[in-house]
Amino acid sequence: MVTYIVRRLFTAVLILLGASFLVYQLTALSGDPLADLRESNQPNKEQLIQQRVELLNLDVPAPLRYFRWLGGAAQCLVPFVGSCDLGFAINGQPVTEALGRAMGMTILLVTGAAILAVVVGVCLGIVTALRQYSTLDYGVTFMAFLFFSLPVFWVAVLLKEYAAIGFNNFLREPHIPPATIAVIALVSGILWYICARGTVKRRLLAAVTGFVLAAGILWALSVTRWFSTPGLGLAVILIAGVAIAFGATTLAAGLKNRRALYSALAAVAVGLVLYFPLQPLLAQATTLMIALLAIATILVGIGIGYLMGGYDRRQNINAAAITAVLVAGMVLLDRYMQAWPAYFGNSRINGRPIATIGSETPNLRGDYWVQGLDTFTHLLLPTIALLLISLASYSRYARSSMLEIMNMDYIRTARAKGLGERTVVMRHAFRNALIPIATIVAFDIGGLIGGAVITERVFAFAGMGQLFIEALVRVDPNPVMGVFLVTGIMALVFNLIADLLYSALDPRVRVKV
Amino acid sequence: MRFGRYSKAIGVAAVAALALSACASAGGGAESTGEASATGGTISVAEVNAFSSFNSDTAAGNVDVNGKVAYMTRGGFYHIDNELNVVRNEEFGTYEKVSDDPLVVKYTVKEGVTWSDGDPVDAGDLLLNWVAESGYANDAKSNEEGEVTSGTNYFDYAGDTSGLGLTEIPEIGDDGRSITLTYSKPFADWEIAFGGLQDGGIGMPAHVVAEKAGLADEQALIDLINGLKRGDAEKPAKPNAELKAVGDFWNTGFDSKSLPGDTSLYLSSGPFIVDSVTPDQSITLVRNDSYNWGPKPSIDEVTIRFIGAAPDQVQALKNGEVDIIAPQPSADTVELLNAIDGVTVNIDDQLSYDHLDLNYSGVFADADVREAFMKSVPRQAIVDRIVKPIKEDAAPLNSQFFVPAQEAYTPSAEGNGSSAYAEPDIDGAKELLAGKTPEVRIMYNKDNPNRADAFSLIQESAEKAGFKVVDGGLGASDWGAALGKGGYDASIFGWINSGVGVSGVPQIFRTGSGSNYNGFSDPKADALMDELMVTIEPAEQDKLITQIDKIVWDSFYGLPLFQAVGLDAYNSDRVEGVVYQPNQTGVFWNFWDWKVKGE
Repeated sequence: MVTYIVRRLFTAVLILLGASFLVYQLTALSGDPLADLRESNQPNKEQLIQQRVELLNLDVPAPLRYFRWLGGAAQCLVPFVGSCDLGFAINGQPVTEALGRAMGMTILLVTGAAILAVVVGVCLGIVTALRQYSTLDYGVTFMAFLFFSLPVFWVAVLLKEYAAIGFNNFLREPHIPPATIAVIALVSGILWYICARGTVKRRLLAAVTGFVLAAGILWALSVTRWFSTPGLGLAVILIAGVAIAFGATTLAAGLKNRRALYSALAAVAVGLVLYFPLQPLLAQATTLMIALLAIATILVGIGIGYLMGGYDRRQNINAAAITAVLVAGMVLLDRYMQAWPAYFGNSRINGRPIATIGSETPNLRGDYWVQGLDTFTHLLLPTIALLLISLASYSRYARSSMLEIMNMDYIRTARAKGLGERTVVMRHAFRNALIPIATIVAFDIGGLIGGAVITERVFAFAGMGQLFIEALVRVDPNPVMGVFLVTGIMALVFNLIADLLYSALDPRVRVKV
Repeated sequence: MRFGRYSKAIGVAAVAALALSACASAGGGAESTGEASATGGTISVAEVNAFSSFNSDTAAGNVDVNGKVAYMTRGGFYHIDNELNVVRNEEFGTYEKVSDDPLVVKYTVKEGVTWSDGDPVDAGDLLLNWVAESGYANDAKSNEEGEVTSGTNYFDYAGDTSGLGLTEIPEIGDDGRSITLTYSKPFADWEIAFGGLQDGGIGMPAHVVAEKAGLADEQALIDLINGLKRGDAEKPAKPNAELKAVGDFWNTGFDSKSLPGDTSLYLSSGPFIVDSVTPDQSITLVRNDSYNWGPKPSIDEVTIRFIGAAPDQVQALKNGEVDIIAPQPSADTVELLNAIDGVTVNIDDQLSYDHLDLNYSGVFADADVREAFMKSVPRQAIVDRIVKPIKEDAAPLNSQFFVPAQEAYTPSAEGNGSSAYAEPDIDGAKELLAGKTPEVRIMYNKDNPNRADAFSLIQESAEKAGFKVVDGGLGASDWGAALGKGGYDASIFGWINSGVGVSGVPQIFRTGSGSNYNGFSDPKADALMDELMVTIEPAEQDKLITQIDKIVWDSFYGLPLFQAVGLDAYNSDRVEGVVYQPNQTGVFWNFWDWKVKGE
């Protein structure tokens, strides 16, 4: 095993060296870094050209300049010296500094989208696999491919136009006209029809339910001016909490396991009881406090499940912990909503909260919740754009992987020995279906750090992609090489991790030493 | 010790409560909705490039947005208005011509003008500015590739040193608030040679630079500069270690993408001071409380946000995230902007212009062929195709030296004979060619659609007159290097008119000059340009340039085609006082007149 890893790392270094040489040459030869000055008729043109030549060492041919760069970059490998030198960008900024900043921005931008894409994509994939060739399956497949093939810059511009500018205009006078309610309710009805299973009569009933439910909620939101002063309140948390308790129990233990259900319901009750005592504490929230509360929430869930006892405490614990986390999430969401009027009325927001550019409102001063809302309103659109295009691959992988597993002999065996469908799907099929997904996710994480060039550009997000593209336009090899180095190393390392992960997760695959 | 189950649980709960309250935010539960008494409101402006340095005068820091931040945070002796006039700010300081020959100019800072840390703006600051911008001590020599072979360049000044380079070490006077510059010969652009806001005003605080460079104080820096010898590239002196330290700090010490912890790195002597920076996203400037030497802005705060692409700027304007934008103009952008309610769009000429140059060699060595080719160029059609879709009243540019915004343009354009080329004269061209069919290779930037359009229109029209036009267009990365290297007969590209000052004239038109790519050479024009460079009266300068303009046209140099178009747009429901400006300062030139409506 160790020899295998060492061998892989050694080839990785060789690949990096070769690729970096190639990328450096391509960048250096991709254009004329003096183009703008040659066209200049400024009296001090020669002097300006000379300054730039000196700054970028243009008097040294590109292949030799590469080795000069390599000399600096090699110092990064020497640990504890801290003399990492990746050179300077045209504007005099050290590349190491620019990279650090850009990486932070890119991680901020893509993390949410990546997690959502995996969770939603895998869920969709599993559900469509379980209901293969149904309307739902065809519908999801169609939508996934539709979004996948949309150009992201176009999606981004549409999102800005309607989800930002249009929605902000709507917020000025948050009243939903009846025609809009009707249309949205109709769409909801159709979705319910597609998702429901059984006879046509039953599905039509579901469609009507969906229609009435959507229309009712929208009407209530409009009448109560919910968009101006949003909030969940205890009632909604209670209703949704009970629903979550039942759902979590169904997945984690099955509704027949009464102890698990009572554990989940107890978790909801604890959340509701703690709602008011927590408010003064939340008013002074910090990130650390929220993290501690999250840990406490999970512990409470585990505690409830443990205390409930029974022959299989693990099922109680799972059901209660999942419920506790989700209910706590709702309490958190409710707190964010309480801060909404303050955020909305802030003079720098000026009643137009959904942003189209950047990651924060400049000079916005507010508490933890207002800052959180600000990050949310800025990340909302780019996250949706990234989510839409990456949903497709995860849902397809998950679907095909699940289908393959469901046709396996051991699934048939599990059914034959009388296991319930929930146990078969959740315990025997689902876990094994995740193995190929895990390796894909590991690989994608490596790619994510490279940034989403177009999305970053459209949303004026100063991440890795932006750094790369701007340096390339200026024919400035140092930042390009910095980005390449980070993404290259990430790709190679996560490739290795994906391979190792596969053999760790799936005992059938073992690396030949 | 044994505890019961309940007391254990209570203990755990107590510890947890303690831990949670310990990490609570210090500010308490106060809901902060607004900020302290703001009266003038805030305005947010979109810019293409990201802020990178508080010193916009260095080669690395010379990015438009850095210059704009400097424009708002520095005091200066004058600024350039939207009609390209020099407007002095006598409240900051005065400058006067003491004598014509030798040319002596005295700059005096008014008493009471200070940096935002309370230190007065005085002769030390002027002197530091002078030593950087004059290149006085620089004695570096470089080879053809631009590599320094001997000597030292102390200051990486991005501007032209040829003007202030004529001056000797200035004399300090008026209790250390004035300096007097003595030129070794008259210098045409003396009025805009020093301390203008658009060049960063009185840039860097001398007391800060002195301290950071390891000198005792500002006086030590003044003494150091007073003791300098003029640099001579032929006889490089031993590098002056102290001046090198000063230069190194001036060159790189103020580069920062974020707000430095050390406030002395971003002192202000202007109306605004930098308040916060989000790297690569935005920079926010607030009022400089001590400022009272010049036009007072009516707004409290300016935020510059960095947005690269034009459509994204337009949507940000529409969404109210920015109030003023100045994107790259295009017909699509103008259409998008016109579709938004409550947005005022300013479209006007820029200082850059496209032109067709004919080489004075090869097929064009013959003046008749040059004239025939000029006659066949459809200038109006080019303007109609390229500029009209954006700016309806666009017209061909009729002077090689002036733009319509300048007073001297009309008389010069009327007298230089440009009227003969208003419309293509195919018959006239045929007559001049007398049956010959010369082959002309035109070089241009293929990747620039405007240049490609101009080329195809010229090609079509010139072929009617009997020319064989060969497409010599090169890609974006190659065409610049090909300029002046031969291998083509004519070229289409752009120059930038400086708007004010005349130093750019000989750079293009003097025999053998750096940007004289087509080999134009006329002894009379050279003599006039020599005279121009030592003429200090603006009216006299205009007269000389008008004469040169005529000579250039008469020698069938080539044709100016059209001026590029600039664009800015602002939310006129909220903001007023925004006025278009053609030079690199852009809309910021009168930021003190900006107002937020209803504030």
